[in-house]
Amino acid sequence: MADKAKIGTMWLGGCSGCHLSIADFHESLLDVLELAEFEFSPVLMDTKYDEVPELDVLIVEGGIRNDENRELAEMLNEKAKFIICYGTCACYGGIPGLGNLFTVDELEEEAYINSLSTVNPDKIIPNEEVPHLESRVRPLEDVMDIDLMVPGCPPRSDVVAQAVVALLKGETIELPTTNLCEVCPREKPPEGLAMDFIKRQFEVGAPEKDLCLISQGLVCMGPATVSLCGAECPSIAIQCRGCYGPTAKVLDQGAKMVSAIASDYGIDEDKTVDPEEVANQLDDIVGTFYTYTLPAALVPAKMQKGGK
Amino acid sequence: MAEDIKIVMFCCNWCSYGGADTAGTARMQYPPNIRVIRVMCSGRIDPQFVLKAFKEGADGVFVAGCHMGDCHYDAGNYKLDRRMRLLYKLVEDMGIGKERLYHDWISASEGEKFSESVKMMVNRIKELGPAHLKDQLEVEG
Ligand code: SF4
Ligand code: SF4
Ligand code: SF4
Ligand code: FES
Repeated sequence: MADKAKIGTMWLGGCSGCHLSIADFHESLLDVLELAEFEFSPVLMDTKYDEVPELDVLIVEGGIRNDENRELAEMLNEKAKFIICYGTCACYGGIPGLGNLFTVDELEEEAYINSLSTVNPDKIIPNEEVPHLESRVRPLEDVMDIDLMVPGCPPRSDVVAQAVVALLKGETIELPTTNLCEVCPREKPPEGLAMDFIKRQFEVGAPEKDLCLISQGLVCMGPATVSLCGAECPSIAIQCRGCYGPTAKVLDQGAKMVSAIASDYGIDEDKTVDPEEVANQLDDIVGTFYTYTLPAALVPAKMQKGGK
Repeated sequence: MAEDIKIVMFCCNWCSYGGADTAGTARMQYPPNIRVIRVMCSGRIDPQFVLKAFKEGADGVFVAGCHMGDCHYDAGNYKLDRRMRLLYKLVEDMGIGKERLYHDWISASEGEKFSESVKMMVNRIKELGPAHLKDQLEVEG
């Protein structure tokens, strides 16, 4: 048998959840290990940054949050032949990306001084020997040459294991391009996905069993989300929060949802419904529609005073 | 510089763009800070268009469509109206400020309204000054 492929995994601005999903390959791990060997993985084994081997495949979790992330990403970009951008943080910035609504100073003050669980009477913000935050979170592709994007927070282990095995065998990998509604088992009303009111899940209680959640007043990100997970959440009566990011046709997941929700809101009374009604019921637009993708949005960060 | 401000304006083909034509034929004066993009119907304005304009350096965005009841596709402007209400909140939350975004209804015969609205918007944005979003996003690191 030919030499085994050398695989590496790396974490940058993520939470390590994506690595757990790799650890969760279960028996598929055996299939992977038959074709490949893990040669570098600071999360799972003892590795040194100054002794990184040449790699055939590198799986990277997390986006670029600080200057250390950038440095390591640039270094690894030279070491790996095929780079998998792994998980929503790497692909779109992910939840840490909501930090882009604040300045670096605000974030540091919150983390080191104001947060309730922090005791820091001298109000010291560490700035030596620690990585410095960059002005905003950026998706990985700003720094690395990406060969394959596998979003998900975290990506489904079974889907990824299959993809990695296919990749190692030299087969082409095709990830779905349709939106979640296409694969969601819930029944779509014939008049389309329209809402007459917007409620939080606790206000509705258990939603009706088989009906689309949007038509029951719950904001479901299905229309703007790629169908990679197989509609896991709507299948168990929880609205999709968009954790796999947009379909390839959508530039900006949040903007697409703004359009999807607002356009058809109160469609039965299209011409008489108060146009403010929909906006009045949604307080946290960014938090609702950009939970996972703000750094990859058209406007990826809050404009600071004067923008300077 | 306040003189260099740029406003992207989306006009629907059937009414607001006609309004711009009427203003032009009647030689009504309005400041040159506006760049008009024609779309078939205001209902075609995707929130992505508005955000892209800001990302690319627009200091303000103005969306205009037919008056309620006059949309040539029946109800495109009603849908746009609802979308805009959410967009005002979004651009406010993104620090751009809701004042930099505006929408109104202008018919093909309302050349006067067209030029007055453009003047109003240009003055408003001049007072706010340029939006430095593009500069901010270009900062490295
Ligand atoms: S995508 Fe989700 S699971 Fe993966 S690193 Fe980011 S937050 Fe963690
Ligand atoms: S429940 Fe969500 S994913 Fe399913 S059809 Fe409705 S909007 Fe789409
Ligand atoms: S349904 Fe939505 S939130 Fe749930 S796993 Fe799939 S993409 Fe993520
Ligand atoms: S055609 Fe003018 S708004 Fe629809």
